[in-house]
Amino acid sequence: MAQHQVNYTQDNGLPVALTTIDKVVNWGRSNSLWALTYGLACCGIEMMASGASRYDFDRYGTIFRSSPRQSELMIVAGTLTKKHAEFIKRLYDQMAEPRWVISMGSCANTGGMFNTYATVQGVDRVIPVDLYLPGCAPRPETLQYAVMMLQKKIRAEKAGKAQRPKRLL
Amino acid sequence: MRAYKPKDDVQKKSYYTDRYWVAPMVPKSMVEDDAVFAADLAAIKAKFDVSDAYIQVEQMVVYIKPEDNVGVLKLMKEELGYTQLSEMSAIDWIAKQGQFEIFYQMLSMGKRKRIRVKCFIDQNQAIESVNPLFRSADWSEREMFDMFGVKVNNHPYMKRILMPDDWEGYPLLKTYPLQGDEFAAWYEVDRIYGKEARAIIGPEIRDSARVDRYDTERFSRLGFEVPMGAEPKAVDAEETPLAYQEEGGVFMIDKFEDDKTEIISDRKR
Amino acid sequence: MQQPNRLRPFFENITFDREDNEMIVNFGPQHPSAHGQLRLILHLQQEQIVKAHPDVGYLHRGMEKMGENMIYNEFMPTTDRMDYIASSSNNYGFALAVEKLIDVHVPRRAKVIRMMLLEINRLISHLFWLATTALDIGAMTVFLYAFREREYLMDIIEDYCGARLTHAAIRIGGVPLDIPDNFIPDLKDFLDKLPANIKDYEDLLDTNRIWLMRMENVGIIPEEMALSWGCTGPMLRASNVAWDIRKEEPYELYDEVEFEVPYSDKCDNYARYKIYMQEMRESAKILYQTIDMYAETVKNNETELMAHSPQYISAPKLELMTQNYSLMQHFVLVTQGMRPPVGEVYIATESPKGELGFYINSQGGPYPYRLKLRAPSFWHTGILTDLLPGHYIPDVVSIIGTTNIVFGEVDR
Repeated sequence: MAQHQVNYTQDNGLPVALTTIDKVVNWGRSNSLWALTYGLACCGIEMMASGASRYDFDRYGTIFRSSPRQSELMIVAGTLTKKHAEFIKRLYDQMAEPRWVISMGSCANTGGMFNTYATVQGVDRVIPVDLYLPGCAPRPETLQYAVMMLQKKIRAEKAGKAQRPKRLL
Repeated sequence: MRAYKPKDDVQKKSYYTDRYWVAPMVPKSMVEDDAVFAADLAAIKAKFDVSDAYIQVEQMVVYIKPEDNVGVLKLMKEELGYTQLSEMSAIDWIAKQGQFEIFYQMLSMGKRKRIRVKCFIDQNQAIESVNPLFRSADWSEREMFDMFGVKVNNHPYMKRILMPDDWEGYPLLKTYPLQGDEFAAWYEVDRIYGKEARAIIGPEIRDSARVDRYDTERFSRLGFEVPMGAEPKAVDAEETPLAYQEEGGVFMIDKFEDDKTEIISDRKR
Repeated sequence: MQQPNRLRPFFENITFDREDNEMIVNFGPQHPSAHGQLRLILHLQQEQIVKAHPDVGYLHRGMEKMGENMIYNEFMPTTDRMDYIASSSNNYGFALAVEKLIDVHVPRRAKVIRMMLLEINRLISHLFWLATTALDIGAMTVFLYAFREREYLMDIIEDYCGARLTHAAIRIGGVPLDIPDNFIPDLKDFLDKLPANIKDYEDLLDTNRIWLMRMENVGIIPEEMALSWGCTGPMLRASNVAWDIRKEEPYELYDEVEFEVPYSDKCDNYARYKIYMQEMRESAKILYQTIDMYAETVKNNETELMAHSPQYISAPKLELMTQNYSLMQHFVLVTQGMRPPVGEVYIATESPKGELGFYINSQGGPYPYRLKLRAPSFWHTGILTDLLPGHYIPDVVSIIGTTNIVFGEVDR
C-alpha cells in the first residue's frame, strides 16, 4: 500500500471497480474500434472526411488502419463490383475475430443506383454485415452515428467464447 | 400473349412514339465553311479515300476506310499537327447493319480544332492498332475490346481491362442486357463460394422498387427498429426514442447529456 | 556499422548479385495510398521497378450502359459518381454536351452560378488532392489543414444544393435554384482567408526536405509522352504545354474572366504540386470575378435560371402551375424524356483533373444511342505503365498521388 494520505475508504477513493469480465472486455472492444480503410468509391471520401479535422473520428477510439490484421471493423464504403468481390472476402477473412462490418451507403447495402451487370447487389452477398447505413453518400455524422450504434451492439454482446464467429456460409 | 421484344437490341426504348414524329437533325455544315478544316480535309483526301465529311457542332467528322486508319492518323499527327488522340471507341450498329462504327477523336492544340475520324468495320473484322502513334490508344483499344469484343491487330496486350479476365460477354453490345446475363448474375458467388452456394445465397434482388415486410426488422421504419430475428413491432407500438447510449450509462464512460451541449450556429471561420 | 548521422539503409552492404532476382509485387486493389481501387503489378529488380502493369476496373459500374438506358435528365445524378471529388464539373460536362446537341442558350445568371459551382468544385478537388497526397507522403498536418478548408467549401455547396459530395446541382439548360442569401458572404469570407491558408500549406511543404526528396525529379513525364498518352489538365501543364480548355476553347463565361494558366517545364512531381497550388489561387481569382458578375445580373434584373426551350426543357414552375400546355409538356418531358435531334456531339470541358469529354450519339430517341465518357484519369492511370519503370518502390506512391486519379472516373 502506498504511504500517502489518501483515504481510500471514502467515496470513489478506492481505485477498484467491481464489474464483470463481459463489461470490461466489451468496454475495451467498443471504444477501440480500429477500422480497416475500405474506401471503394464516393462514400470512401466521406469516410475520410469523418476521420479528418472537423468530424474527428479519434474521439470514438476509431482509428483507420491499413492492415486487416490490425483492425476489427470493416467499413465497406462504396460500390462493390463483381471484379472486386473476391478481394473483400479475402480481406474479411484476414481480420481477426471478433470483427464487425458496417455497410456504408446505398451501393454497399443493395447495389443502390448501380443496378447493372458489374455491381454486386449488396455486400451481404459476400460477407456478413452488422450494420447497414443508408444514404448516397451518407454524411460523416451518419457514419459516426453508425459507429455509436455498433458500440451499443458490441456492449450488448457476450464477450467470451459464447460468441460464435460470424460467417455467411 | 407477351409482346415480342427483339433480342438483337435490348436497349431501353421509348414506350410511346407518335407515328408521324420525325426526328430532327443536328445541323451539319459544309467543310468548306471552315478554312482550317477544309485544308486538313484536302490533305487527307490527297492520299486516302474519304467517303463523307462534314462539320457538326464545331467539329469535323471524316469517314475513312477501316484499313486506312493508321495511315490517316499518322498523316494527321505528323503533318497536320493533331497531337492528341483524346478518345476512341466503337458504336454498335450490328442490329441495323451488322457493323461496328469506330471513332477516333483527335485534338490539335496548335489549331485548337477537333476532328472525329470514323470508319465502319464488319462484326468479325479486326482493326489495326494505332498504339505506335498514340500511346493513349493502348488502353482505349483494350477498353473497346473489353466492351464490344472488337479485336485489334498488333496490340501489345490485348486483354480485358475493366471487366475481370474470366468474364463472359461484351457489356456494351446492344444484345447484352443492362442487368447482365446469367453468368454475370452469379459471378461473385461462383467465384468465391462455388456454384453449390447458389441455392443458399439466392438470386440477386434487382427490383429497385421491392418492399419487403421484413425490412421493418432492419431499417425502413425509423424509431421502430427491433433486433434481427425478432418479430416486427406493431404499427401502434411505442416508438423507441433515439438514444446514443444505453439506459443507465456505460461502464467507465460519462453519460451524454443533451442539455449540457452547445449548438454552434456560426461556423467560426 | 551504420553511422548514426547518415540516412542510410541498414542493409546497404548486402548485394544482390543474381541477375534474375526479379520479384513481382502486387499493389492494391485495396491499398491506402492507391487513391481508390488501383491494382499495380510491379516487377522489381531489387527496389527498382522494371515493369509496371496497372490493372483497373475494380470500380467499373457500367455507367455507359446505364446512360444508354436512361433518359437524359435521369442520367445527371449518375455523372456525380464519376469524379466524386468534384461532382458538379461532371454534371456540367454532361449538361453542356446535351445543350450543344439540342442547341439551347443558357441564361446569363445560370452561367454565372455554374461558373461559381465549377470553380468551387475545382478548389474542393485541389484541396482534396493536396490533403491525400500529403498524407501519402507523410505530411499529416497538411491533410488536416486542407480538409478543414475543404469542409467550409462543402458547407457552401451544401447551402446551395443540399448535398455535400454528390451535388447534381446543374440541370440541362441551366441551374435549378438561385443561390441562397448567405452564399456570397460565406464565399467571400472563405476566399479572403484562402491565400493565407495556401501560404500555410506552402510553408509546410515547399522547402520541406522530405517533400522535396519525394517530389523533385521524380515521375518526370516528358512532353511527347504526356501528349502521346492523352494527358490533360495539370498533368499536361506540368509537362510544358500550356493548354487549358477554359482558355483555349472557352465555354460558359470563361472568356470574360481574367486568369492565368500556370505551367511548368520541370515535368516532375514537384512541378505538378506547384501547378495545383497556383491553380487554387487562379480559381479564387475567378470566383471573385464571378461574384461581381452575379451582382451585375442582379442589378440588370436577369432572373432567368433555365433556358427557354419548351420542346426539350420544362417551363418554370409558375408557368407549369398556370398554363395547361406547359404542364402537358412537363408531363411528357418527365415521363418520356426529351428527344434530342439525330446527331452526335463531343464536348470537352476542363474538369479539375483534365479534359472531361462527353460523346453523345443520339438517334432521335429519348435514350442516347451511345454515350462515351472521356475521363482524364483513365489515361493518367495508363501512363503509369510507361512512367513507373526505372523508379523505386517508394516513388510509386508519390507518383500516383500527383497524377490525381479518381477511380470513379477511371473505371466509370
